[in-house]
Amino acid sequence: MNTVFKCLGALALLGLASMAHAFDLQQLSDQLAKPEVIHGHFVQEKHLRALPQPLTSKGTFVLAKNHGLLWLLKTPLQQDYRINAKGIARRDANGWQLLPGKSAGAEQNRLFLAVLQGDSSGLQRDFELALSGDAQKWKLTLTPRSMLLKQVFNQINIDGGELVNSIELLETQGDSTVMRMQDTTSAQPLSDAEQHDFAE
Amino acid sequence: MTLPSERMLPRLFLILLLAVLALAGWQWRDGAPLSANLMELVPGTTPDALELRAEQRMQEPLNREMLVLVGHTDRQHAVAMAQKIGEQWQASGLFEKVQWNLQADLPALRTQLLQGRLAMLADADRQQLIEHPDAFIQQRVQALFDPFTGFSLVPSQDDWLGLTGRIQNSQPQHGAVQLDIGSGALIAEADGKSWVLLRARTTGNAFDMNLPLQVAELLKHSREEAARSDVQLLAASGLLYAANGQQQATREMTWVGGGATLGILLLLLLAFRRLRVLLAFVPVLVGMLFGMVACVALFGHMHVMTLVLGSSLIGVAVDYPLHYLSKSWSLKPWHSWPALRLTLPGLTLSLITSCIGYLALAWTPFPALTQIAAFSAAGLVGAYLSAVCLLPALLKGADLRPAQWPLRVAEFLVNLREAMLQRARTPVLLALLIAFCVGGLLQLSTKNDIRQWVGMPQHLTDEAQAIARITGYQPTSQFFLIRAANQQELLERQSALSDRLEQLVNLDKLQGFLSLNQLVNQPSEQKQVREALSKLPQFWQPLLDVGVPAEALHAELAKLQALPIEDIDAALVGPLAEPYRPLWLGPTADGGVAAMVSLQGLNNPSLLRVQALDLPGVELVDRLGELNNVFAQTQISAAELKLASCALIVLVLILPFGLSGALRIVALPLLAALCSLASLGWLGQPLTLFSLFGLLLVTAISVDYAILMREQVGGAAVSLLGTLLAALTTWLSFGLLAVSSTPAVSNFGLSVSLGLAFSFILAPWAGRHVHAVPVAEQTA
Repeated sequence: MNTVFKCLGALALLGLASMAHAFDLQQLSDQLAKPEVIHGHFVQEKHLRALPQPLTSKGTFVLAKNHGLLWLLKTPLQQDYRINAKGIARRDANGWQLLPGKSAGAEQNRLFLAVLQGDSSGLQRDFELALSGDAQKWKLTLTPRSMLLKQVFNQINIDGGELVNSIELLETQGDSTVMRMQDTTSAQPLSDAEQHDFAE
Repeated sequence: MTLPSERMLPRLFLILLLAVLALAGWQWRDGAPLSANLMELVPGTTPDALELRAEQRMQEPLNREMLVLVGHTDRQHAVAMAQKIGEQWQASGLFEKVQWNLQADLPALRTQLLQGRLAMLADADRQQLIEHPDAFIQQRVQALFDPFTGFSLVPSQDDWLGLTGRIQNSQPQHGAVQLDIGSGALIAEADGKSWVLLRARTTGNAFDMNLPLQVAELLKHSREEAARSDVQLLAASGLLYAANGQQQATREMTWVGGGATLGILLLLLLAFRRLRVLLAFVPVLVGMLFGMVACVALFGHMHVMTLVLGSSLIGVAVDYPLHYLSKSWSLKPWHSWPALRLTLPGLTLSLITSCIGYLALAWTPFPALTQIAAFSAAGLVGAYLSAVCLLPALLKGADLRPAQWPLRVAEFLVNLREAMLQRARTPVLLALLIAFCVGGLLQLSTKNDIRQWVGMPQHLTDEAQAIARITGYQPTSQFFLIRAANQQELLERQSALSDRLEQLVNLDKLQGFLSLNQLVNQPSEQKQVREALSKLPQFWQPLLDVGVPAEALHAELAKLQALPIEDIDAALVGPLAEPYRPLWLGPTADGGVAAMVSLQGLNNPSLLRVQALDLPGVELVDRLGELNNVFAQTQISAAELKLASCALIVLVLILPFGLSGALRIVALPLLAALCSLASLGWLGQPLTLFSLFGLLLVTAISVDYAILMREQVGGAAVSLLGTLLAALTTWLSFGLLAVSSTPAVSNFGLSVSLGLAFSFILAPWAGRHVHAVPVAEQTA
């Protein structure tokens, strides 16, 4: 259950490129929409009630406007993911493999892209959005509206400054996931390899 | 002038009439005893009880559910409209349940997944667990860190091995419909629009008389409302077909009944030029009354199709009064009772032969025709009784001075025939006629399809197809019935069938199927999973490496080992089982168990039949196909029936006309029927069961014409005129059936019309002179 919302959170955070409302939301949207390409490192911590230590994974990501997201997990295991208009793909020995469009996954993907592509209507419908702080330090809280979403998790918190810093997903069952974006930069264009990954 | 018995008769008849009226009133006490259930009309193919139960189970949703797509380019707009319509419909009281969103009961879903961890694992996952436990564990570790593999309903600490996630992801995808997580709506994307799926289940079924109309009305209203916000609605349901059928039946009954009535009244006025002659319509009304009462008394209700076809009785019933009214051209002055006395033998013969013809229909295996036969026979008796007992009293003292022009027309026709016979003798004509028949018969093709029984309006089928295309839901009426001694065997058999069906799906011959073995594994497979799990500790080091506590894994393993082997009943409890529930038929009378496999998007039924051939206990149930076969078989028995009824009529006619006369009188209608068949061939119309029934009927009716012509009361021209009037009135009612939009009814009307025309043309050959041999032999 974490993953759906996780992703959606991740996207939200990364790509808030498009929430259209006052600095409020409009300004935040514009601010996040500016960079063409964002590179960065991420740390994902999965806090499970039953585990004393969180499951921690690390890696890098690339979010490119109009292209999608590359999520490259490095430790404790190596796995590359790509999300774009075609869906979610995982890389194996034979290249990118599109994951079958099971309903839940496909839906998640849709929400994800809604965020990426600046379709705030999708988020607005499914969540109450509350924004606090200013352009240098803001916090966006997403509270699910629908019964279905409420049964799965309580809240998504997104923190950021110029770019998104962290996303936190709080699930109803007590588990939570935090994704921290570190060393994010919008100064670097897509490398050839990255362009190739998006294009394939 | 009037015998004492003739004074009594009207009173006696009025008493009878009152009694029948009272009975009718009692029958209608709770509203019209009408039915529109098509399945009541088709023959039972005597499937066994289990098959019947399976069939009803599959039919039920078709007759009670409506599938609606609410489409708009903006997804939210579509969802909002679906919600609005859903609420309105729920409030309408017509529906038991209206569902536009899935408020999934997640706790129940979690419970089901956790309970089903041994039983619900897909084949591939089970194999991996058994054969490659290392890979199984590796994938689990990956999934724990994977942010994108779809969400799992069960928290990791309740399912460290990730079995529930695998089960969840292996559930067959039903159609192209996706869950919209935010709203819970089910949405399909097509044609640049988002289509929100709305399902409504009515309180009654499609065969309640009022419900389909109310549902259709509500849909129309919602459609208009949606259109104002630029939202498009598509709907499919058996209810809509039923509503359409009812509206159509009402419309056609009005047209056929009204048209025939007007035409006949006009004809009466034109021919007899007295308003009072319109009283000749009394037997028609009495006939309809008797028909309905008899029908309800015998069958408990009346089908709307009986009413439509039965309304053609008007034209036959009016022939009785016409018989003696037409004597006014020769009897001068005309008095009602003496005219009746003169024609009574003919009338009675006519009643008997017509009844034989109609009742022959009752011996076909079609309940529809049995009803029509009962309706018509009772109607004819009623019409006859009122024409014989009541009408003469009503017409007493009427001074009939019929118009002379019809007689002149008849004389002209008689002369025309004479002139023609001068040029070409009867044998020559017969040879020509036979050539015509052979030519036509060679071109005749047969067609039998249950779909002829239903008017399938284009807009309804178009919408249903659009829905099937958009959602991928394309239910078929065929299904597999699987029987076995126990659940293990049942699931084995279903697996064997599933493997074959899977191939058809891969070949695009089938869109999909639903089978219990997709939900629950065989008990033996569940045991294998349990054994494989006990070996897992050797392989789960990678899970320990990422921090999953060993105690947690051991505790989970203990729980898994303790899970009971799940049987079908247990598997059907949870929310995931919803689509599967109707498939389980449970224990059968012979101590075994049975289940169905439903199919989606089928394009070749014969391919399916082959699949089941060498699978024990597996049987394809294809009711439509079976019915169509029954139709074809019945066609042959109908022909035999026709001959049998002719033989019976010959027997009846021997008394008044002698053997040769009787043969001749019966040979003419048969020849007329042959000509009608040939005409169908020439016209490129297929021979259906219904055209055959029509001809069966026409034989009986046209025997009258031959009798009328043979008796020649008042000369050839007067007799021909009587025949012409009778044929015209009959044709007015049956001919109008030909315009029906139900292919079966229209086909019936067409063949009766043709038959009547030929019967009229051939009737003069019934001859006045006594011949030793019937026409056919004489001219051969």
